[in-house]
Amino acid sequence: MNATAEGPTSAAGPAIELVSLVHRYGDVEVLHRIDLTVATGEIFGFLGHNGAGKTTTIHVLTTLLKPASGSARVCGFDVVEQRLEVQRAIGYLPENVRLYDSLTAAENLRFFAQLSGVDDVPHAIDETLGILDCRELADRRVGTFSKGMRQRIGVAQAILHRPRVLFLDEPTSGLDPMGVRQLRDTIVHLNAELGITIFMNTHLLSEVARVCTTIGVLSEGELIYNDTLENTLRRFPDEASLEDIYVRLDDQ
Amino acid sequence: MITTAVIARQHLRLLSRSQTFLLMLVVLLGMTALSGFIGWSSHATILRVYDETVKTLTAAGKPVPPNPFAYKPRLSLLNNMIIYVPLIGALLAIVIGNMSITGDRQAGVTRVIFSRPVLRSSYFWGKVAGSAVAGAVIMAACLLLSVIGLTLINHGPPTASELVRLTAFYALSGLYLLLFTLIGIVAALLTSSQSLGLFAAVAVWALITFATPQFTSGLRPVASLNPITDPVSVSHSRFFRATSKAKPIAVNEQYKALSSRLLSQGNDVLGAGAGKTATQLAPILFFVLLLGGWAHRLIARRDFSEETARD
Repeated sequence: MNATAEGPTSAAGPAIELVSLVHRYGDVEVLHRIDLTVATGEIFGFLGHNGAGKTTTIHVLTTLLKPASGSARVCGFDVVEQRLEVQRAIGYLPENVRLYDSLTAAENLRFFAQLSGVDDVPHAIDETLGILDCRELADRRVGTFSKGMRQRIGVAQAILHRPRVLFLDEPTSGLDPMGVRQLRDTIVHLNAELGITIFMNTHLLSEVARVCTTIGVLSEGELIYNDTLENTLRRFPDEASLEDIYVRLDDQ
Repeated sequence: MITTAVIARQHLRLLSRSQTFLLMLVVLLGMTALSGFIGWSSHATILRVYDETVKTLTAAGKPVPPNPFAYKPRLSLLNNMIIYVPLIGALLAIVIGNMSITGDRQAGVTRVIFSRPVLRSSYFWGKVAGSAVAGAVIMAACLLLSVIGLTLINHGPPTASELVRLTAFYALSGLYLLLFTLIGIVAALLTSSQSLGLFAAVAVWALITFATPQFTSGLRPVASLNPITDPVSVSHSRFFRATSKAKPIAVNEQYKALSSRLLSQGNDVLGAGAGKTATQLAPILFFVLLLGGWAHRLIARRDFSEETARD
């Protein structure tokens, strides 16, 4: 069932490595020489304002965009030179994914499992829905789902093939408090039980504080901060919350 | 190859759940059945008039002309299909092509698909293969209805030769519809919303179906629809003499002319007429390949990171 690519890096090696990464849309440079390393097993929270370049970074890491210069590696694979290997090693949940309304959850998942080269598709679907505690959704049409249900099936499609790194772009966007809590529990579970490294774009600092082990702050295309959550809280003892720390970092 | 098949199957599954597609399919199949009915109706009317005429002429001691149907090819009773395919069939094909791209876009899954080990050429071929299979199934259903209609009208099943010609006609129609599927795909890739993509493709359809035949036949008033071969041109102006030179590459004209020959048993489509068949088929094949290449290039170069759920 497991179609995950074995990478050249050991389990202890970095899951993600960006070296002097630059990306441009036309003449506009949106990512300025970003250097970032995310260790295997981390839950990495990528913070920043809207338009800071978080989604562009994910698009580079998920092979949707080619960097203008610099390099990006996922599980030791270069996102340009070893695109297929990267794609086999990752799962991706974009912001606002709707899935196919006219198909059931299981039919949606079957399509993505087949695209990912999963061998035993029915078993993978059943097991994944079990992990996410939503087997009862399998035979219901996605068009009838709430935002929270869609998001769970969206996560399911991203982990069907048991990726080594999971990219989540604003995963809590539009969810109600219960949905946010469920998703948070899911993220922690995927990391702890399945050993998936998680790279999460968000601007919800409360989520980062509860879930992430490491954070990075992106401001106008520049990585202005990157450290563990523990060190961050120790480094800014005077700030009451992560939000205060974020504001201070951004001001600097 | 496997990815291509997965994408093709998914496209077919989505089509089978689309109300727009199913509605247009029902209309096309209904018109196919109606085509047989219209053929039967005109056949019966002409025979009735002929019988009355025979009675009158015999009573007057005058010579009786031969039965008109004795000279009319039995397949030409389905001539209306040469109108329905470019009208309803082509619109259906545009919907198929449009949905192949906008279905993924509306679901917001294009970025997910291209974050998986999917080659862009596999994606293109999957969409084309799915669309071609959908077109083939539709044409097969039309063929079946036509055979049933002909059997009822002619009080007996078509001969082997008629079946071959009928199959060739629907194969040609399938190829012609593939052209419009590709127009639907290209229009969807060039525009940002489903409605705009459909509008652009329908504009091209109108140009091919209604405008081009007029310009390439010297404003012959019935040219846009009816498969009439070699009529006298209405306009002799310099402009229309110039535009009529484009007739060999007017796909609608060539489709109608070749279809008409296929449904007329007197014409030799292969053998002595093979050269003419090739020149009529060539522009359709050329534009299918041209649009296919264009669609492939658009998919290969498109920035799919921009594709978010919309419409």
